[in-house]
Amino acid sequence: MKTPQFRRRALSFKPVAGAAAAVLLLSACGGSGGATETEAERTDSGGAITVWVDPPRVPAAEAFVKAHPEIETEVVQIDGTVGGKTLQQQFSQFSQAGEGFPDAIFFPSNDDIAWATGAQINYAADLSEVMPDVIEGYDEAVISPCAIDDAIRCLRNDAAPDVFWYNKTFFDANGYTLPTTWEEYGDLAVTIAQEHPGKISAFLGDSYAPDRYLWASGCPTNNRISETEVQINLDDERCQRAKSLISTLVEGDAATSLGIFDADAAGIGADLVMSPGAAWWGDYLFNQTWAIEAGTMSAVAPLSWEGETEPSTGNEGGGLWGLSNFIEGKQLENAKTFMEFVATDPAWQVELSTGLPGYGPVQDDWIEKQSASQYFADTETTFQAIKEATPHVVEGHAYMLYNTGGVWAETMTPALVSGNGVEAGWSAFEERLLNEAKAQGYTVVTDAPQ
Amino acid sequence: MNSKMITLPKDTEVKPRRRPQAPAGRRSSSLHGREARGAWILMSPYMVLLLVAGVIPIAYAFVIAFQTPPTPLNPEVSFGGLESFTTVVTDYRFLDTFANIFSVLVVWLPIMLVGIIGLALLIHASPGRFGSSMRFIYYIPGALAGVANFVLWVYLLNPAQSPIQGFWHALGFTTIKAVLVSPSNLPMILTAMLLFQGLGTWILVVNGGLNNIPDEVLEAAEIDGANAWHLAWHIKLPMIRAWIGYAALMNLAYGFQLFLEPYLLDQVASNALPDQWTPTQLGYAFAFSNYNFPAAAAMSIILLIITLGIGLLVVFRSGLFGKEEH
Repeated sequence: MKTPQFRRRALSFKPVAGAAAAVLLLSACGGSGGATETEAERTDSGGAITVWVDPPRVPAAEAFVKAHPEIETEVVQIDGTVGGKTLQQQFSQFSQAGEGFPDAIFFPSNDDIAWATGAQINYAADLSEVMPDVIEGYDEAVISPCAIDDAIRCLRNDAAPDVFWYNKTFFDANGYTLPTTWEEYGDLAVTIAQEHPGKISAFLGDSYAPDRYLWASGCPTNNRISETEVQINLDDERCQRAKSLISTLVEGDAATSLGIFDADAAGIGADLVMSPGAAWWGDYLFNQTWAIEAGTMSAVAPLSWEGETEPSTGNEGGGLWGLSNFIEGKQLENAKTFMEFVATDPAWQVELSTGLPGYGPVQDDWIEKQSASQYFADTETTFQAIKEATPHVVEGHAYMLYNTGGVWAETMTPALVSGNGVEAGWSAFEERLLNEAKAQGYTVVTDAPQ
Repeated sequence: MNSKMITLPKDTEVKPRRRPQAPAGRRSSSLHGREARGAWILMSPYMVLLLVAGVIPIAYAFVIAFQTPPTPLNPEVSFGGLESFTTVVTDYRFLDTFANIFSVLVVWLPIMLVGIIGLALLIHASPGRFGSSMRFIYYIPGALAGVANFVLWVYLLNPAQSPIQGFWHALGFTTIKAVLVSPSNLPMILTAMLLFQGLGTWILVVNGGLNNIPDEVLEAAEIDGANAWHLAWHIKLPMIRAWIGYAALMNLAYGFQLFLEPYLLDQVASNALPDQWTPTQLGYAFAFSNYNFPAAAAMSIILLIITLGIGLLVVFRSGLFGKEEH
């Protein structure tokens, strides 16, 4: 939190001037930016680099320092709040100052890539010519969040496709059969909630919830057409089927309005019987955060929508590494070494990282390492599902300057928490999403050009 | 203070400017000159702060607000007239943020003022150890640093850990998210937070005003048969009008600038509260999410005009800068 300008004033201020001064402190910080933007020039420190990482990625930076003692590296730990605004604020100030940028960064939210590649900040370098060998190691579907206007503007830390998680112990004990379509999932969730009150099959209150359900259905909330144009159409049939699934879950008392990261979620997490969820749910959420007993949870391939043959799924996070556009020479060389290390080196990606590596060649080693712990009820199926899910992630979802997950959390979540129902939450979500997109300067279209 | 009361009439009983005669007037004006110089010297550190943190930013805000924001297509800034004000006023969140602030002010400000005055009068009417211990007790919450105070509130608001757990459960809330996002709760919660952290400090300030009332006045009233209630209502209250005005003004200005509390509560509620709940949050969003600094400056100016307007009204109606100060 760096907002000292909003702190309260001493009582001794002369009232009118004090009030006026304090109100206007806001513009003091605003004021610094009105002048013509200074395009940062490329600089060379002679080799020393500064890297910014969120708390879970600190071990990655530390592993790099250990592996490359010859490179003088300053590791800065930044606020890791998904959907936080402080990073963007800092970068916009660096942009005005023309200096201060880190040489490489892990973006706490994937949405950050939108402003980091936007014309105004233009921080993230195009990597397609700088490190082509590394990029070749990525599956096209995995690197797609970084592929913006014919350039590759970041490297994916981990692939985070949603698979279908379920509590195998519960299913075996009660003789339920796993659903294969999204519609079956909704119906079974309601049946289970009736037969075992308190058991839930969906978390709807976090900013990844729309990724889990709307993205998985191909609902156009984030269909980037160009830098200034986006398709948003919640009346689309693909949005409506996701909405009707969510209604089924909510009306059948099979969903919670909590989010997966809520402090209160750990308690209710034990009652989760099935849900679509990212590959990293297994280790990070079930094992480390909710401490669900080993041998309980397992994953299978994502579900399909009725009438479709291929599974459809969303994606939750799967962080992005960016390289600065504003460095050259030895500093750039060293920053590239850092990028390559954190994206590909087994010392981080296999030994320490909790998510399926985005970089293909180390995926099998990671799976082998993770399998050794025998945490999942069915290790082999789980990892096969995780590894094969990426191609099923629905296309047409880019990270934008507005934050769809944030809008969801501010509209649908309160509606569900206060019992106003999906219908009310949905209209609030739609209205706010359109408003946010327009406020960011996008032209919103309802139909995508063919 | 008594000496001031005695010297007062000399300066103010007649209108000095119209007084025609020479010797006394000249002597008093040279005295005035020296006093004025002293006053300026004493004020100079404050004037520097005012200039750096007040006047210059305000002036700069006016310059920026009339520019156009640089965009990808047009990175040059130019004179944009009232464009940024139009952007701000027509923003879909603009009216909502003010409605939100009013929903807090409407509840909080009356309770705050009645609380400040009532408790200050009670303390003043309870001389001796009891009064001063109560004054100290009221002050404690205000002395807690902002963050500590906030953590305390997070603890209180969380039905899973709160000492007032029973209260939340009786209202049907089981998670802190439910407590925070239920529509009418936020203004009440902010009211409670603001009261808790501000009340004690302001009781001290108003109490200072009460201590300023000369004993003779109170004694005279007592001799005339006034009881404690009469004293409070007919003597003390009218004599601390300026302090009450000051308290109202500063609290109103503070309320209009709410930023930190809703910003942090949003994080506690896992982002389920609107990011732009108050006008200052909206200004922040203009600056740092939209890179529209002219709009942020325009928003600040709008807030300045509102608070300055209210401020002037309060100042003139309460006699805050009474004539004895001129």
